[in-house]
Amino acid sequence: MVKILAIHSFRGGTGKSNLSANLATVLAMGGRRVAIVDTDLASPGVHVLFGFSPTGEQQTLNDHLEGAAPIRSCAHDVSPAEVKQAHGHVWLVPAAMNGDRIARLLREGYEVEKLNDALFELAQVLNLDVIVVDTHPGINEETLLSTAIADCLMMVMRPDGQDYLGTAVAVEVAQRLDVPAVRMVVNKLPSYFDAQQVRERVSGSYQVPIGALLPLCDELLTLASGDLAVLRHPSHPWSVGVQQLAQDLVTSVL
Amino acid sequence: MAALLALEPAGLRRVLKAGLRQGVDDAALRALVAAEFCCEPDAAAVDHLFSQLEGRQWLVRQGTVWKTRLA
Repeated sequence: MVKILAIHSFRGGTGKSNLSANLATVLAMGGRRVAIVDTDLASPGVHVLFGFSPTGEQQTLNDHLEGAAPIRSCAHDVSPAEVKQAHGHVWLVPAAMNGDRIARLLREGYEVEKLNDALFELAQVLNLDVIVVDTHPGINEETLLSTAIADCLMMVMRPDGQDYLGTAVAVEVAQRLDVPAVRMVVNKLPSYFDAQQVRERVSGSYQVPIGALLPLCDELLTLASGDLAVLRHPSHPWSVGVQQLAQDLVTSVL
Repeated sequence: MAALLALEPAGLRRVLKAGLRQGVDDAALRALVAAEFCCEPDAAAVDHLFSQLEGRQWLVRQGTVWKTRLA
């Protein structure tokens, strides 16, 4: 049975897509069949981390939600060589990058349950173990659906006052929707912050387990979202934190 | 989905949530309703609830399962 991992943040710029792509890669390095779905239809971006850019011929999630394109045709194999060697797979379902198409979908909308059905159809046809859903920041129909169907919701935040307040709203939503497991991920933690103090503040604020505290780091900035840190800098504390988060999920959710 | 979030009581949210993902078969949904609202799975009240939810098109039958449609 496929497991749905929803990666969400209340505000933008938390590194949610970066975490989604790297977490999906680590899980696939364990020999799993993983799909990553970009439901950030207003501002898609996770494809960049896999060096994938949909051409006019290649179908996207928008083609399925707006029209009759089978969801399978919207999933593209982006497995890095290291993942293939480990007998894993990563498929990416990107969202359209064309401004007109983004605007049209936002203007005209779509039946959000079609996204639910698409995820489980994809799980069946690709025999998936895990679907990682990269969501749009804040609260909208896609994020509510992703939250409602998630086996685990990962809330990504920075140690920032606005993030603390907004994240509380999203955690309350998760509790109302009875999400079976929630993890807090604090990302972009500056080195001069006291990690233990942040850990205590976050766990005390939300009563939710902390999945990872991930440092702000130059190496990720150097990659500029153009590659996967867990493959290029596997020993870096950020990558080690993502690996430990993946191990936690394998043990307690997958 | 905003409707699901706003629904009360919580038991009703859980019933409709069960119809997401791949849907839920009739027996499992009846068992869930029975557990949430302390009644028997074949009680008339359960049939009435199903009828109300189906009438609002919040629950629809698809083959052998109930699916939630809240859009």
